[in-house]
Amino acid sequence: MPGWLDILLRSIGLFIVVFALTRAMGKKHPAKVTPFRFIIYTVLAAITALTMLNMVNPGVGLTALAVWFLLPFAGEYLATRSKWAHNLIYGRETVVIRQGKVLEENLRQARVNGEELLSELRSKNVFNLADVEFAVLEPTGDLNVLLKSEKTSVTPYDLGRQVAPRPEPQTVILDGNILNEQLAALGLNKHWIKEQLEGSGVLLDNVFIGQVDATGELYLDLFDDTLRNPKPQVKEMLFATLEKAQASLTTFSLETEDQEAKNMYSEYAGRLQEQLEQLKPHLLH
Amino acid sequence: MTTASKLKQTLAGLKGAQATLKEYAEKARHDEAKATFRGAHEVIGGIVQGLEGRVSRIEFEEPQFKG
Repeated sequence: MPGWLDILLRSIGLFIVVFALTRAMGKKHPAKVTPFRFIIYTVLAAITALTMLNMVNPGVGLTALAVWFLLPFAGEYLATRSKWAHNLIYGRETVVIRQGKVLEENLRQARVNGEELLSELRSKNVFNLADVEFAVLEPTGDLNVLLKSEKTSVTPYDLGRQVAPRPEPQTVILDGNILNEQLAALGLNKHWIKEQLEGSGVLLDNVFIGQVDATGELYLDLFDDTLRNPKPQVKEMLFATLEKAQASLTTFSLETEDQEAKNMYSEYAGRLQEQLEQLKPHLLH
Repeated sequence: MTTASKLKQTLAGLKGAQATLKEYAEKARHDEAKATFRGAHEVIGGIVQGLEGRVSRIEFEEPQFKG
């Protein structure tokens, strides 16, 4: 067998084997692994390269490859079965800041110095050590930070405000093509899209991205950016209409002299006000 | 503008809003939103009915406002 054919066959064979192995190793992000896992990747890469270039016997290479693939696999299986094995294999997280105080002993054990701690904090957008309540060094070397409660961002819950639930938007048009699967997931069809496009006077070919939001409204981004595509304002309009009707009912109740009608108007105004408050988070945002 | 015509205008606005709410209740993707829109649709339906009764009474008592 000529040398080039040998290399070609080895390369293709190893390409397929290694591709299958890495797929079987799961979806761990290569930038966020424990140091040992990084070594596993390196060893696998080195064995592959040496075997491919015929530096080692293919049998020897494949055996080494199998060992370095199967052992971590077995370790992972054990780790899912027992917490003890998990800690042994992946290491444990280290608490480095508790109740706002840096635990120097733990830092030393993790071999992280103050400069590195501050730099990790800064990469999490924390420049002030005084803002930190709790921080953990993960086995991957990532630092996760819990800020003091007065320094965390305000949520609607903190403000005591009710907000409408927001399911994820679905992309239904991409590059002028209708994505049928996503449409079906929403319980909509092509006719609905055609209707919406006609309503806004836009051709399907001119749509780059079309997304359906939580309330079922279609947002369009067009190829032609000079075309003005008005943002749908139906929700705001609806709220304004209801507010106006509520105000009118209040006026009627003040104007009329018929006591029965007066009561009716003011009762309706009250009911409408109640509905307005409930609808507000859904219609205005 | 007479009271009767103002009342009719409000009634028309409410009817339009009622229809839009019905549409939202149908296409909302979250159960909570659906329930809110449906509830508002029903309450406004009740108000519309009451106001319609009031309009026909005004027209009966004061036929000059009919139209």
